[in-house]
Amino acid sequence: MNCQSTEGFDYFALEGNIDAQSEKYFKDLPARVRCSQVRFNFSKTGRVNSMGIALLLRCFKDIREAKKAEILLEGLTPMHTMLFKMTGVFLLATPFVSQGSGKGGVA
Amino acid sequence: MQQTQTVVMLCQDASDRGLWESSMEKVPELFSIAVDGDLTHALELLRRAGATLRLVILSSRLYPVQHPELARLIRAACPQSELLLVSCSGAPSPPLMPLFADNVRHLAISPPGSGRSDREELSAAIEMLVARRPWEINSCLKQGTPIHSFQLHSTEDKEPLIGALEAVLEGEGEEYELLRQKGALLADELLENALYDAPRGAHGGKLFKKGEPRVMLPGERIVFSFGFDGVTLALKLTDNWGSLEPDLVIEFLARNQEAGSHSDDEGGRGLFIIWRFLDQFHVNVHPGQKTAVGGHLQLFSGLPPEAPRGFHITEHQIGEAA
Repeated sequence: MNCQSTEGFDYFALEGNIDAQSEKYFKDLPARVRCSQVRFNFSKTGRVNSMGIALLLRCFKDIREAKKAEILLEGLTPMHTMLFKMTGVFLLATPFVSQGSGKGGVA
Repeated sequence: MQQTQTVVMLCQDASDRGLWESSMEKVPELFSIAVDGDLTHALELLRRAGATLRLVILSSRLYPVQHPELARLIRAACPQSELLLVSCSGAPSPPLMPLFADNVRHLAISPPGSGRSDREELSAAIEMLVARRPWEINSCLKQGTPIHSFQLHSTEDKEPLIGALEAVLEGEGEEYELLRQKGALLADELLENALYDAPRGAHGGKLFKKGEPRVMLPGERIVFSFGFDGVTLALKLTDNWGSLEPDLVIEFLARNQEAGSHSDDEGGRGLFIIWRFLDQFHVNVHPGQKTAVGGHLQLFSGLPPEAPRGFHITEHQIGEAA
């Protein structure tokens, strides 16, 4: 999984499945946030199972509470959107279409 | 109403009855009662038929919001009958906590203006409940559809099994891609439940931590089955622990359904995801012997993704054949 910070936001590109094996990555992730906005890119993410959802919720809560940062999610598939809607992920993070995709603005 | 009536539907009024008329037309010898504000009379009719009644179908316009005590009153009038709550997917979702409290373990969601396949699906579910017959994987598939079954030997089998399922769902286009993704997630959750949640120690504690590699214990049997007939995908996972508690399943579904719930440690989220991605969700438990979890979904599902799904959670008595 790639991460980079630009002037305005932290950026994390998530790859592969998100499940119990991803625990360490998401546990350490909030400490790496420096900016007031964090963007997660899901375009190379595969399956996100219930354990993956639990890790995302925990990570996003930590970022919002400890770093007071806004969280944006980009590159979501229809499947991710359905899953995140029904499990409350979108109560902590906002779906976003980046400028680079040619559809600029918040979804 | 006949002396030997086996299925009765309770509707709010004539308009509610009309709403369900076409969905119920395939249910043989169904007698419907419009309450029309006189619940005492409706319950008296039920009581007269109580000896032979196998199933009481309840419209969600009556229960649980309008008459929260109705399930308890019906149980008192006809103690032998199962209760099935029916709701339109276009109507507000029925709250599940009262169902959990009243031990109502059957919910059917039907799209408004149901098509032929939905009518047949509902009719098949009713027939199954009347006969007290557990759901089978081929009951909603076209005759002759091959069923693929695999017995697990270790956690290493999980990804190849998901790959085998995806390979069966061949087809091009967005609908097929979505079905493959849903199928893969459903398989993942079913397998994780059987591998890590089902195995329990003598005091009920979990034996394994999620994600931990393991081989099957001596005598442990986990079987994953699926079939696809070109329209409907059916999946079933059985384990021989029989440790899943039916009341807990409904509690998990209810808790996870509550609006605004984004707790990171919400128990049963896997079961909730399985429920919401299937068109119909079935759980069949023989305590201490066997648990079967599964259901089916359609390539072109008529239910919007946010709509709740039906479920049938059946528990057999200890000693009944598994």
